[in-house]
Amino acid sequence: MSAGSPDGSEPRRRFQPPRAAGQISAEVEEEIRFHLEMRVAELVRQGLSPAWAREEAHRMFGDMERTRAEMNAADQRREQRVRRREYLAELQQDVSHSSRQLRRRPVFAIVTVLTLAVGIGANTAVFSVADHVVLRPLPNTGADRIVALWESDTRLGQDRKEVSPGNFVDWRDRAQSFESMALIEPYSFDLAARDGPPQALRSWGVTEGFFEAIGARPILGRTFTLEEHAPNAPLAVVISYSLWQQRFGADPGLAGRAIQLDGQPATVVGVAPPWLRYPDARDMWSPKRWHYDGERTDRRSSYMYAVGRLRPGVTVAQGQAELDAIGAQMAAEYPATNTSIRIHAVPFDEQLLGDVRPALFVLLVAVGFVLLIACSNVASLLLARAAERERELSVRAALGAGRARLTRQLATESLLLASIGGAMGIGLASLGVKALVALSPPDLPRADTISVDGPVLAFALVVTVLTAVLFGLAPALRASRPDLLTPLRAAGRSIFGGVERNALRRALVISEVALALVLLIGAGLLVRSFVTLLDNDLGFDSGNRATFQAFLWDLNPTAEQRLQRIQAITDGFNATPGVEGVGITTAVPFHPSAVDPLSNFVVEGRPPLTTGEEHRIYTLIASTNYFPIMGIPLVRGRGFLPSDRADAPGVALVSETLARRHFPDEDPVGKKVRFGVMGAPRLWEIVGVVGDVRPRTLDSDPRAEVFVPLDQTANGGITFVVKTRGNAADLMPSLRAALWAAAPGQSIYYEATVEDLVASTLVERRFNLVVLGAFSVVALALAMIGVYGLISYSMSQRTGEISVRIALGARAGEIILMVVRDGLRLAVPGLVIGAAAAFVLTRFMRTMLYQVTPTDPVLYGQLVLLVLAVSAAAAYAPARRAASIDPARALREE
Amino acid sequence: MADSLQLLRGTLDVLILKTLAGNRLHGYAIASRIVDRTQGVLAVEDGALYQSLHRMEERGWVASDWGHADTGKRARFYRLTEPGRRQLRVETANWLRYAEAVFRVLQPTTS
Repeated sequence: MSAGSPDGSEPRRRFQPPRAAGQISAEVEEEIRFHLEMRVAELVRQGLSPAWAREEAHRMFGDMERTRAEMNAADQRREQRVRRREYLAELQQDVSHSSRQLRRRPVFAIVTVLTLAVGIGANTAVFSVADHVVLRPLPNTGADRIVALWESDTRLGQDRKEVSPGNFVDWRDRAQSFESMALIEPYSFDLAARDGPPQALRSWGVTEGFFEAIGARPILGRTFTLEEHAPNAPLAVVISYSLWQQRFGADPGLAGRAIQLDGQPATVVGVAPPWLRYPDARDMWSPKRWHYDGERTDRRSSYMYAVGRLRPGVTVAQGQAELDAIGAQMAAEYPATNTSIRIHAVPFDEQLLGDVRPALFVLLVAVGFVLLIACSNVASLLLARAAERERELSVRAALGAGRARLTRQLATESLLLASIGGAMGIGLASLGVKALVALSPPDLPRADTISVDGPVLAFALVVTVLTAVLFGLAPALRASRPDLLTPLRAAGRSIFGGVERNALRRALVISEVALALVLLIGAGLLVRSFVTLLDNDLGFDSGNRATFQAFLWDLNPTAEQRLQRIQAITDGFNATPGVEGVGITTAVPFHPSAVDPLSNFVVEGRPPLTTGEEHRIYTLIASTNYFPIMGIPLVRGRGFLPSDRADAPGVALVSETLARRHFPDEDPVGKKVRFGVMGAPRLWEIVGVVGDVRPRTLDSDPRAEVFVPLDQTANGGITFVVKTRGNAADLMPSLRAALWAAAPGQSIYYEATVEDLVASTLVERRFNLVVLGAFSVVALALAMIGVYGLISYSMSQRTGEISVRIALGARAGEIILMVVRDGLRLAVPGLVIGAAAAFVLTRFMRTMLYQVTPTDPVLYGQLVLLVLAVSAAAAYAPARRAASIDPARALREE
Repeated sequence: MADSLQLLRGTLDVLILKTLAGNRLHGYAIASRIVDRTQGVLAVEDGALYQSLHRMEERGWVASDWGHADTGKRARFYRLTEPGRRQLRVETANWLRYAEAVFRVLQPTTS
């Protein structure tokens, strides 16, 4: 009888498979049965009858059921503990074995880990952006009940047109589906500064219930009381988070503080949460003031925004149905203004995120493709390595390692690679996120919150594990059933060796080429769109021009004062060194706060147009030399002259589009027309036609515009355009000083160079272009590494065959051609599949494109040729190596 | 056995460990030896004995393997492990102290 194992501890089970639950209970049964048999035999020996003995044995045993259960439970717990311990020991073995293997092949390890780091890093970075911008729920309370409300104009085909105050008042009074509805008016205040000129603050004037409707609670203080919404109530404001940070040093005691706005006392009652930025980010909110008597019934001044909160349980569709009915009623009641006006309720998340969703979706798919290519590459590398390691695996299998154990060993290796790659990837991702945010359009919602945080790290972890599974699966399955004898017998070398494995690698490389082509085509379409867009004629010159927008009404109440002030400021600019000239307008093209209201346009002498069919034109104001300063050509007639003064007959210039549209067969010059410019309609004579400009963006179409002279309107909301000799940005400080010298106390509402105005409209396209372009370049590089790797590997396997060819007289050129052809044979099927996939997938990019069809055959052809050329180049290096084989030596070694 | 004493909690474990000291035994043999040694004074239910054995195996105090009994039948044999021996020493010492203390109280005073 032994006294336990030598060391006295529980002996380690070697070569003994783990016990299943079934086996445990069978052994328990056997043990109990043995005991009862022994007991019965003993009792019978003592003279009991067998039946009685059995009964007595059971009695002595006690509670059979409970004992059985306890025994089973204890055994299972012990089994689990043993298994866990063994698993950890094996894992430790696997990890140390794997890291030994990787250290032995540093190039393989580095290439693999870097490939994975790029794939995982890029995915994590893009996911981080997508997650923060579109995937996370909106911070507004009850965001699914919020809708943005717009007018829609069935005649102009506009479905999100700004709202007029008169229409809003009717919507609010009639609609039953809404808990609250608020009007939002762009407004501005001058905030007095302790030293220097006042700061113009952009504000939203909101009607009562705005904060309730939009679901935002202040982080400090409160929102407006009903009394503060009353006319003539003392001014109260809620300031934005960023103004609080920048201007008030994040003072936690700011609520209730008095400030000076427009020279009047006002109270800061609260600070808004940082995410509240609808319709866009502004400095503050104030109760909307009703500026003139008829404003509540004004259905023409549609320049405001509205937001509503549906009652609980009311769907957006139900709300829209009610608004449809109200819109139809109002069309009948107000034929002069509302015939073609309806109401459009847009779910709030759609309103905020609808524009960025498609692009982020495309980027997510693209970066997913990059990861797939990275995985294919690593899988292909692992397959090649598995071939080299076949002997090692065979030996281990022969020594008794089971298939599961071998598979786990390989899986550990994959996971180890993926983990290192993932860790580096997260490092890359935090850099990538910074780059993406820096590149991203400034109006990208919630961009300020983007960071690599918990959910993003969780995503990176999942991606890392998935990656390991993806690239590790094929090699692991393949290697876990090694043919025990063949590699040992053949010493790893055979003429037909690895045919099946090479087929798998071929498939991987072909799919890499396909994926890379899809990305290239996507990026190519964006490039084509961008170039086409840049080729568009602006209609004006953008270089070396600075703009300053200012509102002169407050400090210069009369028309005469305003014109004098404008002249003083113009003189000040002209006296600044480096200035070539100054033009003035109400609406610089591409300007975000251009003032260019729509107006009805009637040509004298023509029969009156029926209601709803009037010509609608954009009305702008310009100074005499605005057109030459902006580089807008005069096409016909004359420009404005100094003699077109306030007391002279009204004159107007029209855009080419207006001339073409409303005077198709006649010369507009000399025609008398009637329209209002920020006031009642009056008569103007057309004296000339000016060139078309693109009004908003490079892809916006020129509009029917009419200009009237500044001197004949004395408008106070104007933008100065200063043409400079050098870079306009350098001159901004001295121009600002000149303006304040000529107009002390005047705030500057918006300043920018025209170049920046144009560039800012391209930020989003540039972002998509740069990101997708970078991904496609990475994808192509990875795919070409795949081609290079596979060709190199198959060359090393075919050394014998090539030696024979060379010995038989094949020239180097023929060998090179043969190998390069092999490379192209890999590329061609990939290109066919890739082109077909792109044909299907690029349609999702349609909104990101401009005047390019997603299936443009020329572009497809160019990119296919590019990939073919690069594939040939990737195959060329191994081809050169093959051609320089010394046949005598190679065959001897064979 | 009707007049035998019920075992105190934990006592059975010590008895089994003691029985296994220097022996490799199956469950029935352990039960028989305990009955022999105590001359039937302590009532040991067979089921409780097996529960105790498996619990102690879980704790690592005893180890088991399958072998053949004298009858030639397959049986599960138990033996002490090093931790089991340690446990036996500790428990024995505890028991002796306990018994001594109780005995000292119950002893008729010699005054």
